[in-house]
Amino acid sequence: MPPVNRTYWRSPAQIEGTPESRDFLEREFPEGASELAEGITRRDMMMLVGASLSLAGLAGCRRPVEEIVPYVTAPEDIVPGIPRYYATTMPFGRSAYGLIVESHEGRPTKIEGNPSHPSTLGGSSARVQASVLGLYDPDRSQSVTLRGTRKSWNDFVTAWGQMTQVHAAGGGAGLAIISESFCSPTMARLISELRVSYPRVQWATYDAVSDENRLAGLRQATGRDVDLMLRFDRASVILTLDADPLLSDPEMMRHARGFADGRRAGASGGAPSTSSGQGMNRLYAVEGVYSLTGAMADHRLRLASRQIAPFLAALAARVAPGGAGTGSGAKAGIPGVDPRWIDALAKDLQANRGKSLIVAGERQPAAVHAAVCALNTHLGNTGKTVSYYETKDAALPSMSSLASVVSAMKAGTVQTLVVLGGNPVFDAPADLDFASAMAKVPHSIALGHAVDETSSATEWHIPRAHYLESWGDARAVGGTLSIVQPLILPLFGGRTPVEVMGVMVSGQDRPGYEIVRETWKPILGEADFEKKWNRVLHDGLLAGSEVPEVVPDLKGEAVAELGRLGAAIQAASGSGGDLEIVFLPSPSLHDGRFANDGWLQELPDPVTKLTWDNPALVSPKTADTLGLANEDLIRLDYAGRSLELPVWIVPGMADQVVALTLGYGRVRAGRVGSGVGFDTFAVRSSRSPGFDSGVKVTRLGRKYPLSATQHHGSMEGRPIVRESTLTELRSSVTAQPARVDSAHAADSPQPPKKAGVPGALGVFEEDPHHFSLWKEHTYDKGPQWGMTIDLNACIGCNACMVACQSENNVPVVGKIQVAKGREMHWLRVDRYFSGEPSGSPEMVFQPVPCMHCEDAPCEQVCPVAATVHDAQGLNVMVYNRCIGTRYCSNNCPYKVRRFNFFNFTKDTPDILRLAMNPDVTVRSRGVMEKCTYCTQRINRGKIDAKLAGRELRDGDVKTACQQACPASAIEFGDLRDQSSRVVKAKADLRNYALLEELNTKPRTTYLAKVRNPNPDLEGVRT
Amino acid sequence: MAQIFPPWWNKLPIVAAIAGCLVPTVATAGVWYYFSPWYTDVGYRPVQPVPYSHRLHVGELGLDCRYCHASVETSAVANVPPTQTCMNCHQIVKRDSEKLAPIRESAASGRPMRWIRVHKLPDYAYFPHNAHVAAGIGCVSCHGRIDEMETVTQMRPLSMGWCLECHRNPGPNRRPVSEVTNMKWTPPRDAGTLAAQLGRERPVNPPTECSGCHR
Repeated sequence: MPPVNRTYWRSPAQIEGTPESRDFLEREFPEGASELAEGITRRDMMMLVGASLSLAGLAGCRRPVEEIVPYVTAPEDIVPGIPRYYATTMPFGRSAYGLIVESHEGRPTKIEGNPSHPSTLGGSSARVQASVLGLYDPDRSQSVTLRGTRKSWNDFVTAWGQMTQVHAAGGGAGLAIISESFCSPTMARLISELRVSYPRVQWATYDAVSDENRLAGLRQATGRDVDLMLRFDRASVILTLDADPLLSDPEMMRHARGFADGRRAGASGGAPSTSSGQGMNRLYAVEGVYSLTGAMADHRLRLASRQIAPFLAALAARVAPGGAGTGSGAKAGIPGVDPRWIDALAKDLQANRGKSLIVAGERQPAAVHAAVCALNTHLGNTGKTVSYYETKDAALPSMSSLASVVSAMKAGTVQTLVVLGGNPVFDAPADLDFASAMAKVPHSIALGHAVDETSSATEWHIPRAHYLESWGDARAVGGTLSIVQPLILPLFGGRTPVEVMGVMVSGQDRPGYEIVRETWKPILGEADFEKKWNRVLHDGLLAGSEVPEVVPDLKGEAVAELGRLGAAIQAASGSGGDLEIVFLPSPSLHDGRFANDGWLQELPDPVTKLTWDNPALVSPKTADTLGLANEDLIRLDYAGRSLELPVWIVPGMADQVVALTLGYGRVRAGRVGSGVGFDTFAVRSSRSPGFDSGVKVTRLGRKYPLSATQHHGSMEGRPIVRESTLTELRSSVTAQPARVDSAHAADSPQPPKKAGVPGALGVFEEDPHHFSLWKEHTYDKGPQWGMTIDLNACIGCNACMVACQSENNVPVVGKIQVAKGREMHWLRVDRYFSGEPSGSPEMVFQPVPCMHCEDAPCEQVCPVAATVHDAQGLNVMVYNRCIGTRYCSNNCPYKVRRFNFFNFTKDTPDILRLAMNPDVTVRSRGVMEKCTYCTQRINRGKIDAKLAGRELRDGDVKTACQQACPASAIEFGDLRDQSSRVVKAKADLRNYALLEELNTKPRTTYLAKVRNPNPDLEGVRT
Repeated sequence: MAQIFPPWWNKLPIVAAIAGCLVPTVATAGVWYYFSPWYTDVGYRPVQPVPYSHRLHVGELGLDCRYCHASVETSAVANVPPTQTCMNCHQIVKRDSEKLAPIRESAASGRPMRWIRVHKLPDYAYFPHNAHVAAGIGCVSCHGRIDEMETVTQMRPLSMGWCLECHRNPGPNRRPVSEVTNMKWTPPRDAGTLAAQLGRERPVNPPTECSGCHR
């Protein structure tokens, strides 16, 4: 590994050395962090504590009476203390995530991906991990209501019967249904039945964050309703256009795995190692807003969303010359883009026919998607890196269907409106003015998890069952049939869309279980139905139920069409002076549906590292032009509407772009999400929900404080992240022996491990530069745990952070506490930039859990031995010994220890406690805590192996972060076992320890990132 | 002029010295004992909603522990039996007993029994029954002679020091796994030989570090 030859920084403020960034550098917890928030000084608090202690002292001696409440009739298959695992599916729009859910005595607590499901492949995402909290959301609605008064479900069924008498006569005229998009055989069957009884029903499918443009583009190109399935693992050269397949795409888990697999290929400097025999993939990203995909890119071009069409037209003219796209000006330059960049890209794509892949983002117009489809076909990628299949059992999103229902509502022709999930009052485009249209509808019914913006405005509200309480089904990517199986009865009597549709179709109340089974009888066949059904429930999916791939015949001249569009756009934006507005789905809250989930609210945005807010994002240069600094409030005028919100500067964004994140600013989300952030739907129009020109920004001269974690846990300019290029790596493989001799401690990662080196397992070779003043542990007993994190595979998606939070009962602290550096995440994902802030800096992610140093600095300063080492190499934290000096945190070079400044779980509502892992202690105030390598999972693995009378095997123990990682970037295991995956990873040339020169001998090590730049692009600036 | 200090004041230094030694010693010893689990926990014998007699059921009728505490071999918790388990016999035996009324009521109403926990560990300590049974630690070692108890009483301090005594030297407390629930089992005369033999056949290395029990 070559020495670090570039400077990494976390924000422009750090480069300038502003006081705010120094604060977190010099003190882990900045000035004032030790004081209470509410005007009570620490001294007063000590007095109060002392007084109450002396009073409580005697009462504390008495033993509290604790009850044991056993079952009355024990369920046959539940053994108290042994968790059970069930397969189920989380429907998410037209996607379906196959999951394995852990249940403790009937209480779902932890979610993992189902390894045999095509959508998750065993991984998960931050949202999937956090969805368990949604089940126990204390603000979920608890009963059916009629204009706010409690009613029963039967009342609704009766009322529905009366309401529909009118419609039955008119064949459904006056009945309108608004739904989110879905892909479910049962729902599709119910809809077709509904259309039989009510042929004139008006149906609208609306997603605030939708892929309508892509579907329309594919329809335009192929003449059929097809959807696509991307196979990143087979692609050598990938081009993304304003797309974020690695985070905001619903299929991000599948994409992440495929991309990481292609990334790992040959990353160790050796021969290509994927099954297809190709080397490391190369990713080009062209985008305006910095996305995770852009961060992973080998070459990233900053380009506003409106410039994507001309860019693609120019590319098409080079890739498919003559055939199409030679429209006027296609070959002409794009402002700010070096033509050599496009030339090199076109050459690379052509050199990798059948192994390349072009992906366009959902924001882009249909013409771009159609052209991308045509280009992929031209490059021979169809059926290889991208495959198409007919959409089946799906409700496809359509903005125009919503618009026509809304205009019918306004015209007064809608008598009954059913909102079958979704929250259109909040997230429908502002120009439709959905709320006032709904006020004109005599009867309205909303199915919702909470009494949200929509449900509080409708006549009837029906509580919606969480997916962990529901029977249902779905088709996953590629069409695989998946089953939604409940793990618990509805906590608040919620109903599923299937059950509500059941009532609408037949007028009778039927359990979802029956309705779903009725759909599956013809699918599975009557013969042996129960047996096959049980197999499906066990697996969570029906194997072999994919929809066959189609090879579409291209209709028309999609590329030529694009050429015209590109030319038009270029002509329109000829002046290029005005600002562009872009709407982004929130990586955490999506369209706002997860707003009441504390884990997601507090999860730092992967790129901005902001929590609890959604400022407008601008590039440093644009901020300069507009005279804006971080946290400045602005007024944004666009299409006749305006919005006030703060600004955050993101290096690497395209200039002249203002990006707004959707999903915040909910009014009736609940105690967590209401009033958090700014409602950007207020300025979104149905005409251009993705991006548009013509926005005006005015500085208001006021500030609005934001809580970003980007400076927290800073390690001052030391070589922390390392990266290299594939070429450098290959040359260092050959030059290695010489390199090791001349290695300087700070610059060289540890040399590759040699077998049989004495000392601590040979993981850390005795180095003449290093000797320890401390008595070293021997580590000769029991398994020796270690971890590697592959920075080359890590996409920075934060799934590990939420998985850790869910597994280890990590509390949520709130925006004000985050600003003081008190967030409790045991695992954080650091984000570094390198390069010119106002130019196109590169981004690197680094997850940082506890390093479990063999010579841990924290242990040496604890006055009460509350943090000590165990024989397996774990640095353990003993909560009941800890007196809260925080010396350990002060002495930790990695800043991974988190302190409970308050009893953060004290006010947790009872119902939320059901989400807690019973195998992990809930910490109280004044106690330090940190990553334990999931010691509860280690113990379970060891005891299970013991009971089975065998040794622990590699893979018996998986940490929560490792299991959740969609990119498989984390390996964990026994360092004694030479065949274990973690030992193999540590033998990699790229393996290095964080701050190795401190001689802390961390058990967690990193594999350096490798980029694979195109040699033709050397010296071409973007 | 009368003396200000009476003559007995001369003894003051000695008295003070003795008291100075005794008072802290007594105080320390007092705290040591009275604040320890030996005083606060051992002998804890709460009144249960139903006066279930282990002496009768185990001692006289000879029920095996695992008839009720069924998951002790497989799970971390040795569950308290469901009402149903009581009713297996008591729908035939002692059907009209006054004392069993709460059990019948629970079975009829579906409302669970609420027993009082006797053996309680702190929340941050995790004790797996299954691992201990597999290692051949008899029930008696921690719970005492349950078969002689009319009302279940805590017999051992269940303190960390007490746990560690055994974890450091498990040999004397081990027995063949088949004898784990045997209340009357006594080690053979050559106890050392048995311990050595068990150590060879099923070696155990109980953790003595924090991560073994605290999570």
